[in-house]
Amino acid sequence: MKMKVSRSLAGFATLALALSAPALAGGPTSADLANDAASTGDVLTYGMGPQAQRFSPLAQINASTVKDLIPAYSASLGGEKQRGQESQPLVYDGTIYVTGSYSRVFAFDSHTGEKKWEFDARLPDGIMPCCDVVNRGAAIHGDKIIFATLDAHLVALNRNTGKVIWNKAIADYQAGYSATAAPLIVKDMVITGNSGGEFGVVGEVQARNVDTGELVWTRPTVEGHMGTLHGQPNGISGKTNATWPGDLWKTGGAATWLGGTYDPGTNLVYFGTGNPGPWNSHLRPGDNLYSSSTLAIDADTGVIKWSFQTTPHDGWDFDGVNEFIPFDMDGKKLGAKADRNGYFFVLDRTNGKFISANKFVMQTTWANGFNPKTGRPNYVDANRPGPPSADGKGNSVFASPSFLGGKNWMPMAYSKDTGLFYIPSNDWGMDIWNEPIAYKKGAAYLGAGFTIKPIAEDHIGALRAMDPRTGKIVWEYKNKAPLWGGVLTTAGNLVFTGTPEGYLKAFDAKTGQELWKFNTGSGVVGSPVTWEQDGEQYVAVMSGWGGAVPLWGGEVAKTFKDISQGGSLWVFKLPKH
Amino acid sequence: MIARRSLLGGLASIVAGLALPSPLGATPLAKVKELGVLRAAVYKDNRPWSWNDGGTLRGIDVDLARALAAALGVRADVVEFLAGEDLGDDLRNVVWRGGLLGFQPCDVMMHVPFDRKLQLDNDQVAIVAPYYREGFGAVCGNEQSDCEVPPPQFKGRRIAAELASIPDLYLLGGFGGVLRSDVIHFPTGYETIAAVGANKADVAVATQAQIEAALFDLKNPGIKRRKGPLQAIMSPGWDIALAVKENSRTLGDAIETLIAAMAADGRMAAIFGQYGVTWKPALAG
Repeated sequence: MKMKVSRSLAGFATLALALSAPALAGGPTSADLANDAASTGDVLTYGMGPQAQRFSPLAQINASTVKDLIPAYSASLGGEKQRGQESQPLVYDGTIYVTGSYSRVFAFDSHTGEKKWEFDARLPDGIMPCCDVVNRGAAIHGDKIIFATLDAHLVALNRNTGKVIWNKAIADYQAGYSATAAPLIVKDMVITGNSGGEFGVVGEVQARNVDTGELVWTRPTVEGHMGTLHGQPNGISGKTNATWPGDLWKTGGAATWLGGTYDPGTNLVYFGTGNPGPWNSHLRPGDNLYSSSTLAIDADTGVIKWSFQTTPHDGWDFDGVNEFIPFDMDGKKLGAKADRNGYFFVLDRTNGKFISANKFVMQTTWANGFNPKTGRPNYVDANRPGPPSADGKGNSVFASPSFLGGKNWMPMAYSKDTGLFYIPSNDWGMDIWNEPIAYKKGAAYLGAGFTIKPIAEDHIGALRAMDPRTGKIVWEYKNKAPLWGGVLTTAGNLVFTGTPEGYLKAFDAKTGQELWKFNTGSGVVGSPVTWEQDGEQYVAVMSGWGGAVPLWGGEVAKTFKDISQGGSLWVFKLPKH
Repeated sequence: MIARRSLLGGLASIVAGLALPSPLGATPLAKVKELGVLRAAVYKDNRPWSWNDGGTLRGIDVDLARALAAALGVRADVVEFLAGEDLGDDLRNVVWRGGLLGFQPCDVMMHVPFDRKLQLDNDQVAIVAPYYREGFGAVCGNEQSDCEVPPPQFKGRRIAAELASIPDLYLLGGFGGVLRSDVIHFPTGYETIAAVGANKADVAVATQAQIEAALFDLKNPGIKRRKGPLQAIMSPGWDIALAVKENSRTLGDAIETLIAAMAADGRMAAIFGQYGVTWKPALAG
């Protein structure tokens, strides 16, 4: 600890801090991160605990008092980069750390909102991210704040000064790779996935030494590719070419772009994988492992312990990246995932065994439930988009959910108190067809044409409370525009989430009754957090409309065309009496 | 000129005519001349059209952009960009909006298909001056001595295609999928022909320009070009043009005039010839 203090660039400040709060000088350890769900004075991990349950035991703000919640302060990210604030704040040692769009990190005083420092990654001019310029959050460990950049770097900053400690390329941005997820830190390793919009990307999970950024292990997520441990080959993922035709496994997709969760009890990290390529499923018969799956990976060695494919042989762009949240029920060690494909899965988290899959959206045209014996979907064959054809526009198929999913990136929450999962979902479908001739890279190409459209008169977004025991929706809150922000639940019988219309809202966790709302001035697509400071409970969320939704037009766009962009941190608390 | 070549006929011209003049009062063509530079965008890794040859940007599109700038009496600023998922992404990032991370819009984007639907779907740009007729072909080498057989008879050979291209979809999906497990993938069409030359593939399906350029560069008598058509390939060929912003019609007009002159006096054929590609006039031209 002394070494760290003497090495610090802000030696005096750190020393002063050390005198007043000696326990904090070294910064959070991996043990602190593993305990984050129980520690109420800080928010150390993306998901408020490595299991990412997003549950807080705090109850000062509760179903009775929440009506009095007022802003404590707001802090602008400034500049012209006012779009797509999908981040979740971290809180530690009197500081709120938050990432901004365009690969920025900010440190704000958690008492006043005053800015302590800002880091802007220098991004190459040539990168053109497919979807938006978002970032979903940082990780904290020791003296470091670590985050991923749009040009696929992982950057460790000194948490007191914002100065770079190390900076590693985790993939080649020139080959179409990017990075937007919050890193996961487990046992002094920083564990990340990868992302890329380009066909040809192969998904991978990487673990690095948190102090140096050097690789510890890698695990590709498409069968046939070799993993590594300490630079040595460590076994191929799956069995080469077992579920892919020809050499398509070499470019199979399955990007791990949303990051992962961790269960200390099983020592497994859980990562979801993206959809396979090429988009048309008829060209790649087979299950195409491990696309659209959840993988359980041994945290020490990077070896796959089990996998479960939520959309075998995907044909609708149902990416399987969604978070897998470990939870216990009736003495069983389980995990749950609300998938793009509209189903809420409960699995045995020790071995991946299928427990149940239930619809959490209005409609799933692609399948009629799952077979409880096999854990595979009962496909509706007529609703799979057709094969490419030379003779004009192929049959148009209506598919629901749309490729943006029954649930997209935005994380759900699980309450130990109510036993319910709170899922930010969307009810929308798409017409999808083969374009006779489209163009790609200046040459003729057969693409997919699609139009996303609402399927209900009164809403697209719906926050739903799912009972994992029965598979039934206990309550729902409908929202006109698509929901695109994360969820927080607390022991105060509350559920918080944001809306594109600009509100942060609080609901009764048992009934879904809306109890409080506040308009932040721009759409809320970030994930709220809560913590306790000087005896008072605080709630914080980012405001700033953006993400993938505004890129899709048509009827859906009518629900958000008047929303202004922004970039601010909002912090709330109860008034002092 | 515009009236004859424009994909939208008179309507677009009328709309353009109603558009307000720019705040500077100068037409886009006048602005290019005043600034003394034509900023032209070319695809990254698109040999023989545009590629980075050991630090030097080379290719047919690069030379054509430089020739256009020279004819306008200005300097050429040729910049590469990474292809998006489809042409709409490219037109947005390169021509009318710019990249979200600071990539400045270009005066002209090379290598844009001259297609009515593409124009209708992207009304912020004008697709003008078609300069080449492209299509697909095949080469054989090594074990595949007869390159004229119906494609299903390539079964069992190593068949090379650029990833996520029409040749790829043709080989994976055509003829009931009989060739699916024989397809091997490469990042570019040019590399598929090189792979045949290096005995890493027996057959390659690629664009005519990729085939001609690779045959010219490799000078490998072992690579044979298929003379007959590829049965049931999804595209009969297409014209390649360039794009300017919808409100840059004055620049588009000037470029059309220059392209027509270069086609007439042999400069166009000479540029293509440098790369071993036989210039074929666009059908729409």
